[in-house]
Amino acid sequence: MQSKTAARTHTQLNRRSMLKGLAGLSGAGLLGGTFPMPAIAQETTWTLANSMRSLANPYHATFAKGGEEFAKSIGAKYEMLVTEGNSEKGVSDIKALLQRTGGKLIVNVDPNDSPDARVIVEEVKKAGGFVVTQWNKPDDLHPWDFDPNYVAHMSFDGVPNAEAIANALFGAFGGEGGIVALGGILSNVPAIERKLGLDNAIAKTNGKVKLLDFQPADWNEQKAFDIMQAWITRFGDQIKGVFAANDGMGMGALEALRQNSLAGTVPVVGIDGIDAALTAVEAGEFAGTVAWDPMWTGAMGLAIPYAHVTGKIDITKEPKEHREFYGTGVIVTKDTVAAYKANPPKTDFNDLWGKATGQVQYRS
Amino acid sequence: MNAPSSIPALEVRGVSKSFPGVKALDNVSFTIKRNEVVGLIGENGAGKTSLLKVLNGIYQPDEGELLVDGRPVTLASPRQAFDTGIAMVFQEQTILPSLTVAQNIFLGREEEFLRFGLVSKARMNEAAAAELKKVHLDIHPGTACAKLSFADRQMVEIAKALSLDSRITGNITILLDEPTSVLERKEVELLFAIIDDLKKRASIAFISHRLDEVLAVSDRVYVMRDGKVVKEFDGKDVTEKDMHQHMVGRQLHTEYYREARQTACSEKVLIEARALSKAGAFRNVSFALRAGEVLGIAGVIGSGREDLARCLAGHTKADAGTLEVNGQRARFASVPQATAQGVGLVPAERKVEGLVAQFSVAENMTLAALPKFVAKGLLNFGAETAQAKSWIDRLKIKTPSPHAMTGGLSGGNQQKVVLAKWRIAGVKVLILDHPTRGIDVGAKEDVYELVRDMTSEGLAVILLGDTLEEVIGLSSRILVMRDGEVTASFEAPPGGKPTQIDLVQHMV
Amino acid sequence: MQTRKATSFSYLEQWRRWAPLAVLIALCILIGLFNPNFLSTGNFIRLLNSAAIPVVLCMGATFIILMGSIDLSVEGIVALTAVIVSLLVANDITTYKLGLFAVPVAMAIGGIMGLVNGVVHVKLKTPSFMTTLGIGFAGLGIATAILGGLTVRIADPTFRYLSLGRILGIPMAVWIALAAFLVALTIQQRTRIGAWIYAIGTDEVTARFAGIPVEKTRILVFALAGLFYGLGGVLAAAQFGQGHALIAQGRLFTTITAVVVGGTALSGGVGSVVNSIIGVFIVVVLANGMVLMGIEPYVQQGVQGLLIIAAVALALDRSRLSVVK
Repeated sequence: MQSKTAARTHTQLNRRSMLKGLAGLSGAGLLGGTFPMPAIAQETTWTLANSMRSLANPYHATFAKGGEEFAKSIGAKYEMLVTEGNSEKGVSDIKALLQRTGGKLIVNVDPNDSPDARVIVEEVKKAGGFVVTQWNKPDDLHPWDFDPNYVAHMSFDGVPNAEAIANALFGAFGGEGGIVALGGILSNVPAIERKLGLDNAIAKTNGKVKLLDFQPADWNEQKAFDIMQAWITRFGDQIKGVFAANDGMGMGALEALRQNSLAGTVPVVGIDGIDAALTAVEAGEFAGTVAWDPMWTGAMGLAIPYAHVTGKIDITKEPKEHREFYGTGVIVTKDTVAAYKANPPKTDFNDLWGKATGQVQYRS
Repeated sequence: MNAPSSIPALEVRGVSKSFPGVKALDNVSFTIKRNEVVGLIGENGAGKTSLLKVLNGIYQPDEGELLVDGRPVTLASPRQAFDTGIAMVFQEQTILPSLTVAQNIFLGREEEFLRFGLVSKARMNEAAAAELKKVHLDIHPGTACAKLSFADRQMVEIAKALSLDSRITGNITILLDEPTSVLERKEVELLFAIIDDLKKRASIAFISHRLDEVLAVSDRVYVMRDGKVVKEFDGKDVTEKDMHQHMVGRQLHTEYYREARQTACSEKVLIEARALSKAGAFRNVSFALRAGEVLGIAGVIGSGREDLARCLAGHTKADAGTLEVNGQRARFASVPQATAQGVGLVPAERKVEGLVAQFSVAENMTLAALPKFVAKGLLNFGAETAQAKSWIDRLKIKTPSPHAMTGGLSGGNQQKVVLAKWRIAGVKVLILDHPTRGIDVGAKEDVYELVRDMTSEGLAVILLGDTLEEVIGLSSRILVMRDGEVTASFEAPPGGKPTQIDLVQHMV
Repeated sequence: MQTRKATSFSYLEQWRRWAPLAVLIALCILIGLFNPNFLSTGNFIRLLNSAAIPVVLCMGATFIILMGSIDLSVEGIVALTAVIVSLLVANDITTYKLGLFAVPVAMAIGGIMGLVNGVVHVKLKTPSFMTTLGIGFAGLGIATAILGGLTVRIADPTFRYLSLGRILGIPMAVWIALAAFLVALTIQQRTRIGAWIYAIGTDEVTARFAGIPVEKTRILVFALAGLFYGLGGVLAAAQFGQGHALIAQGRLFTTITAVVVGGTALSGGVGSVVNSIIGVFIVVVLANGMVLMGIEPYVQQGVQGLLIIAAVALALDRSRLSVVK
């Protein structure tokens, strides 16, 4: 399981309208995989598709919605492909769709696992379609090696965002004392990046902030709850703050603090910007979170290739920072949460790289 | 008690019951009168247990009818039999170790202790205590049965059947299938006392392999053979010898068993057991098996011969005594070790233990000798197929090809595949546990032919025959086992074979 | 004729029954020596709190496993009931405000899911493994479809009191788990179904011979387990103050592990709900203790795995097994 899978992000949609849209999906269909969406006036012969792990988490639900909004704006057919954490299913669904569309397919895919990206890219190139990948790909797989079919790779940089949110946490308790940290699944790239960002932030305090303990809670709320309980026993009031590598685990830790009447006293930070975390920020129980923008990744992963096939741009002539790039994470704290909620990030389908923040870096 | 006492408590008229391949009951008629103890004897597979299972509603007869108190009944289940006044004590115990004694006795009949949907343990235990008293078992009814010895569980099983007594107003019939096999002498006496006492109120059918027991308690004895009732003895004037006569009583066909090909055994001892013992299975077993010899072992279920066979083939370890193979001390810790030393077992349950039905004929044949077909860590399929082909020819196995699935062959041909497997593995001593069970007559003769082939090639065979006839016909020497001990040994040269009665006397 | 005393079967067998408890006590002593805070009242209450939901789930799963079946629908049913109960109390998506009346509704839905498990398993004769896996996925699917991947936030303080409230300093969830245990114990000890579950798990043929309605019992027990999972879903929603499709993630493994570590055999017929309580505490104490002792995260999973194998090996009577699958 890759981290962004567990990532949840604040959505700027009207929640009720979104529920209505999804209520039509049957439970069995969710397990099955592809969802033919209602056909809209056809203005293009290209089929668009977003592929993701599951619709059960807000990040991917919004990612899928972003793709749908873009497809609607150009009147294209749109499909959602769900891997359910199964790499084989992810690849074969894309192959089937390539077959069905005769290669006239633009697919924006969040591969279930890094190696899947290579297979998918090769299949798409063979069929003459276009592909954008998100988050996961092997380090030596680059879009410019598969011109023009492998259009781009998009990601968010865990290191600076984690460092920034850690600093927000330190600020919340006065910059001196012990903290505990919950990590994601040990082998996930985002988990490693976010831990690295935390370590960088701690190092820069010159010993003022001490990491009392680090435990991986595997992106799991319940596990985070149990670990936090044990920490309360072990460290007691030495704990000045809690760093969680995603908001879900942060919420688990917060509930454990609440059970021990410490909610609001010991600040928590998370990453992803899920609704519950934003509410906790408002209530002063969370010191902050990092909000990603899955609406934007869901749409741009289709908009950039579409711009290429319609001749608006020639992707092969674009610089590398337009082919492998990071999106923008927004640090939301008590001071900024009201503004963030009042003025959520907007996605302009024509501003292809407006929110890109530099070329992807390889640290290992 | 509304029916006149001259009407039998239980009557079976012309009942037949078939299972695929066997006729378990063949037009059986059988009566239990009021307050009577009826003994039921016969060889293994004669149909005794099947008959009781029909009476208890476990089997539904294909033909014939059942009368209780002179009225025809259909018994669809043991529960229905119970409500009709018939309870059975099973050979294989049905006491559930995870439940208490009381829960076992009243399993499925808890409704009489219900109050507001909950079972009153106090009342149930009290009722159970009354039943336990009947079998003189002084245990708390709330004890988990897992804590009881097998003998005590058997007594609980009997108490369970006796609980009919206070719950059915009419006549009751108790069916006892080998109730004494796990009981010690003292407990058997107790059981007999209980039966004696019970007669005042109930009718009883009693199966035992121990003829002396049957004689001791029965008013009448039925002898069964091949699914038929062959003799009915009235009164107490019958002897064990009479019973033996009727339990067996078939003529031997020397030709059928290829007696002419029986080889005189050589002096070379292949395997020798000295005072071999295993707790709860067999005691103090000694014998020497020579090349070219067929050693038959006769005995009823529970005689320990199956355990002995499994021990010789390395499936289990003996507790005491020694085993020598080719003059060298051997102690098999596993089947492959026994195989390597040249001892193999062809089990009774071919499909479960001897063959992998989904494997091809060739794969099955080479299963016990795979290392022989491995070169550079890989299986040499060519050699495997060649070897399989030669054995298919030699044993005249009817299979479309060496690669056909073994499960698709007939029983006899499957048995030949098993034999080939052990021959390829190079065993010198082959233990055959019921090698002809469930295969047709023609295939049986093929197997006998193969046994003769093996001995003439200098192999030795230990045979746990399907019938006494088979043991006598094939063996050059016969050991008789009873209750884990060797009770007799017979030389069986062609023309000088012991009779079945000779053997049966020592078996039961 | 003299009456005879029953013979005690085997000391080893007696000891085996206590093996899980011995493991639990040994763990507590070991962790207590390492970090005396472990034995503090505060930590004890925290342990009870962590154990509450697993206990409720194990009560249902124990009965299924005692019958020799398996139930893999735990996560699906918990997730669905948690989502439904969150939507029925005051929340930020729907306008329902059923308050505590939502609890029986959610439990009933759990019971119906369990009933479907049982009916499909018994009537279509599909192995419980596959049936419950399928129904579990269906539960997760429906939960996902209802919320579309979103999270519903609960805004009903009365409902949250089920987790956050305290009586005598002990969280409500713990009292509810205790009540669930007492109900399960009564079912096991004092009802016909209780005895029949053991009979079916030990030897279905004997159970049939005794006139036990085996099919009906199976269906009923699956439905009963569903009720417990439904209650588990309610507690999970109350604990986190929200409902979402992933809320039950990891529950299945903990539940089955606790039942088996407690000494209930997967082969059926052996064990009890008391064993499962011990099993839950072994799992919870171990997770808590490893953090308290500061054991490397990398090592923790290994220790957990070893302990499961050790506990099962101690509790298992291998002499009766000839084939292990």
